[in-house]
Amino acid sequence: MPVGDSLAIGVSGLLTAQRALSTVSQNITNVNTEGYSRQRVDVVTSTPQFSGDGYVGTGVAVGGVRRLYDDFLTTQVQTNTASFRQTENFYTLTSRIDNLLADPKAGLTPSLQSFFNAVQGVANDPSSGAARQVLLSESGTLVDRFHYMDQRLGELRNGANTELQNRVTEINGLAQSLASVNRDISVAPGRVSGNLPNDLLDKRDTLIAQLSERVAVTTVPQDDGSLNVFIGNGQALVAGFRAQSLSVMSNQFDATRLEVGYQMGTDTINISNQLSGGKLGGVLDFRNRVLDVAQNTLGRVAIGLADNFNDQHKLGQDLKGALGGDFFKAPNLQVQARSLNTGTSAVTASLVDANGLTTSDYRLTYTGSNNYTLTRLSDNQTSAINTGGSYPYSSASIDGFSLNITAGAAVNDSFLIQPTRQGAQTIGMVINDAKSIAAGAPIRTSAALTNTSAATISPGVANTQDPNLRNTVSITFTSPGLFNVVDATNGTLATNVPYVSGQAISYNGWTAKISGAAAAGDVFSVGANTSGVSDNRNALLLGQLQKQQTLGGGTATYQDAYGELVANVGTQAHQADITRNAQDTLRKQSLEARDGVSGVNLDEEAANMVRLQQAYQASAQVITATNTLFQALIFAIRR
Amino acid sequence: MRISTNQMQQQGVNSMLEQQALLAKTQLQVSTGKRILTPADDPAAAAQVLSLTQEKEVTAQYQSNAGVANARLSMEDQTLSGVSDLLQRVRGLAVQGNNATLSNENRASIAQEVRQRLDELLGLANVKDANNEYLFSGYQGGTQPFSQNAAGGFTYSGDEGQRYLQIGPMRQVAVGDSGTEVFRAIRNGNGAFTTQENPLNTGSGVIDPGTATSGFVPDTYTLAFIQALPTAPITYTVTGAVSGVVASGTYTSDSTIAFNGVQTKVTGTPANGDSFTVTPSANQDIFTTLQNFANALETPVSGAASRAHLNNAINRTLVDLDQGLGNILDIRAKIGARINAIDAQKGVNDGFELQIKTTLSSLQDLNYTEAVSRLNLQLTGLQAAQQSFIKIQGLSLFNFIR
Repeated sequence: MPVGDSLAIGVSGLLTAQRALSTVSQNITNVNTEGYSRQRVDVVTSTPQFSGDGYVGTGVAVGGVRRLYDDFLTTQVQTNTASFRQTENFYTLTSRIDNLLADPKAGLTPSLQSFFNAVQGVANDPSSGAARQVLLSESGTLVDRFHYMDQRLGELRNGANTELQNRVTEINGLAQSLASVNRDISVAPGRVSGNLPNDLLDKRDTLIAQLSERVAVTTVPQDDGSLNVFIGNGQALVAGFRAQSLSVMSNQFDATRLEVGYQMGTDTINISNQLSGGKLGGVLDFRNRVLDVAQNTLGRVAIGLADNFNDQHKLGQDLKGALGGDFFKAPNLQVQARSLNTGTSAVTASLVDANGLTTSDYRLTYTGSNNYTLTRLSDNQTSAINTGGSYPYSSASIDGFSLNITAGAAVNDSFLIQPTRQGAQTIGMVINDAKSIAAGAPIRTSAALTNTSAATISPGVANTQDPNLRNTVSITFTSPGLFNVVDATNGTLATNVPYVSGQAISYNGWTAKISGAAAAGDVFSVGANTSGVSDNRNALLLGQLQKQQTLGGGTATYQDAYGELVANVGTQAHQADITRNAQDTLRKQSLEARDGVSGVNLDEEAANMVRLQQAYQASAQVITATNTLFQALIFAIRR
Repeated sequence: MRISTNQMQQQGVNSMLEQQALLAKTQLQVSTGKRILTPADDPAAAAQVLSLTQEKEVTAQYQSNAGVANARLSMEDQTLSGVSDLLQRVRGLAVQGNNATLSNENRASIAQEVRQRLDELLGLANVKDANNEYLFSGYQGGTQPFSQNAAGGFTYSGDEGQRYLQIGPMRQVAVGDSGTEVFRAIRNGNGAFTTQENPLNTGSGVIDPGTATSGFVPDTYTLAFIQALPTAPITYTVTGAVSGVVASGTYTSDSTIAFNGVQTKVTGTPANGDSFTVTPSANQDIFTTLQNFANALETPVSGAASRAHLNNAINRTLVDLDQGLGNILDIRAKIGARINAIDAQKGVNDGFELQIKTTLSSLQDLNYTEAVSRLNLQLTGLQAAQQSFIKIQGLSLFNFIR
């Protein structure tokens, strides 16, 4: 055996151990590097030499430096990260509404209660200026509370726009970086021979992980070593060396609502609905599932309250003796035309019955031949509207509102109708004079003192603002079973009306009841409630609105409808919290699984270091031993 | 299983963070005393808490309304108690005024007191409440209800409105009565009919207010006395305006004359051609009753005929006053019933409020025993996590490579 061989083998051992030690050092120093996969030196036996004695080993060699990596585990981390970030962001945003509603002093409930307490205060003492002033200021507070809450929701809506812009910018940046890393990897020398650029691959995985924090992606590796990245329903974000950037665009119906745009040929299309996962998915989800519904629910309470209260208030009489007017400014029902509409038709919505309103938005589309389709977006239920060709056309009431459509629609023109969206924002006060609060009823009744029977007449209620409402009307019994009705202004209204005790008698927009056995010659009169400053009948009726189920098809009081909002947001937040925790566990498990393969363990590296140190020392000993042999040989020759 | 160094560190940190989050929540629960911190903690309960809170507040408002109602009714009752005392006093005066031994001057001084009482009664009928509203003017609290007109009659300027207050979810209670109800809608006479002498009577006949029996037929009856000769017996005929002649006979003082459900009698000696009428009762306000009484007292008595007129007038005053007193009594009984109803409703409201508070408490209040023991457990958990973290982080193979 040639001595030189041992020397060469020893040297190969030294070099291999050095290489391995440097990899250990690399692992140790990168212990805290995000996305770093630990590396291993593959040690292989050098090609043996054939001699007469057979194959003789020639030492050791480095086969390559490999990163310890599992494709499946890495993909799982990316997927779970995207899901976790989505639910986390959804939860964070929903919690902000949840916290807004949680504060018992900040919610709607206390203002609503104070408002109705003030109504009762007026009922208790209708002529008191102080009680009326309290009602005025409490209604102002209630309106302010609607505005405040709507404003807070509006801030979240603006926040969603800002976040959407930021996320899109970040995603575009990451896509650019990915495209350039793809290029670096594909041109890396040695890749073809199987020596992969480990650190570049780690870098790319890190970029994908960062992308997954923002939006869910799918990746497809290419033959040239590059990785194609897709978002949504397969829209390419990175194709080879080229990044396709996303854009921010306005919603077609609502210019203030930003959406994610994607360039398809010359068109930019809205892909918001197709995106999921990551913080971007979370914010989009929050806006669709929580924010819109919350604002609509709050708006419906405002519309219902304003409408019912106004209706009843108008049936009253104020301190100055005038009929009641509007108390609240009725909120707007918002209709927005699609920006791409080509026709000239305009659509407006008006409230018919607050009781029928839902919290959904609607879309109206013209399908041609005077046919429109109205789609309720919450459940996609459609109803057909045929205008019959006469314009402006007013539709029948659908879900509590009716549509007014003018001529000139082009096929496929569409409109977004949000009946309740602006309710809380646009409710206002009309009344500003405490004396104008209509606490009394406009009419009063009396039985003549000369009546010989004990029959009585009820106080009477006003049903509509009839022009003759306050005319003096006398009901005269011609016999115990018949009566005549005479309006002092307009003459006889009815003669020989059969009398049934306790039955409603309605004329001129009022209803009263006469009960008990009547006698011929009995006279009852109904007339204006002149100087009825102590009358509280209308205030009592206004106060009773608090407990009446006047919303959601007669299923909910104002408080119930607001409670629905609280319960809905609370449930969403609660579920999001559970999902978030579950997703977090999944993400942590997948991270652990991946780190189990790719993460650096310092103890392991220390052990490896000791092993390699010893291998190095041993190889050095081989050289020393070879040297000793060599010395011995030289020594022998020299003698 | 292989664990990376980072992972070990991260696990330790995560477990501390989790413990801290739990601890912070428990701490907040303990410091607020609330089990539900945000609706997300228990969405169904949170919505229920809101609606129960409303129920509680509404019930508190009903209780406050009930207080207002009670105060108003007490005030009305007090006023009516004054009216009642006053009418009793006037009734005493009427009995006194009927005394045959009184002189015209004596009666004039009684009349003076009656007029003072009448003013006092007007004052009571025009009383105002604490909010400066007239108590008995119906809806027109700003209008003085009763006043004396130029002709000496009494005018009512209010209406028949009656104010109600809401004292329970389905319960409203009347908190007043109109001036008509209290002072004006009073049937005169015995409630069914009233007896009246002809002002031109010259005899000493005095008619009794009478009583109505079940078969009373409302009609205007004239009871006419005829004595053809001073020695002839006195006969009478009762003729109804609609019914025609319903009774006739020979007159005996103080014996019952009955017809068509009317039972009355005449005392004294009616003169030939004297007559009395029996008419169905009509409403007569209490002020007019007092005024009539004072007028009668002020008319001087100068013989049997004028004494009979006085006696007849005072007899009528007595029954009219009794009707008035009865009406006030009825209204006070109604007020009493309303106050009872308010008390009963207050009891119901109290019970409901207690029940709501109990439910609210069980929904949102913290179980301190459980929470504090949980807090301790979580503290221990956090400490353990911290200590184990330090111990584990201290371990490294590098420590042993020398």
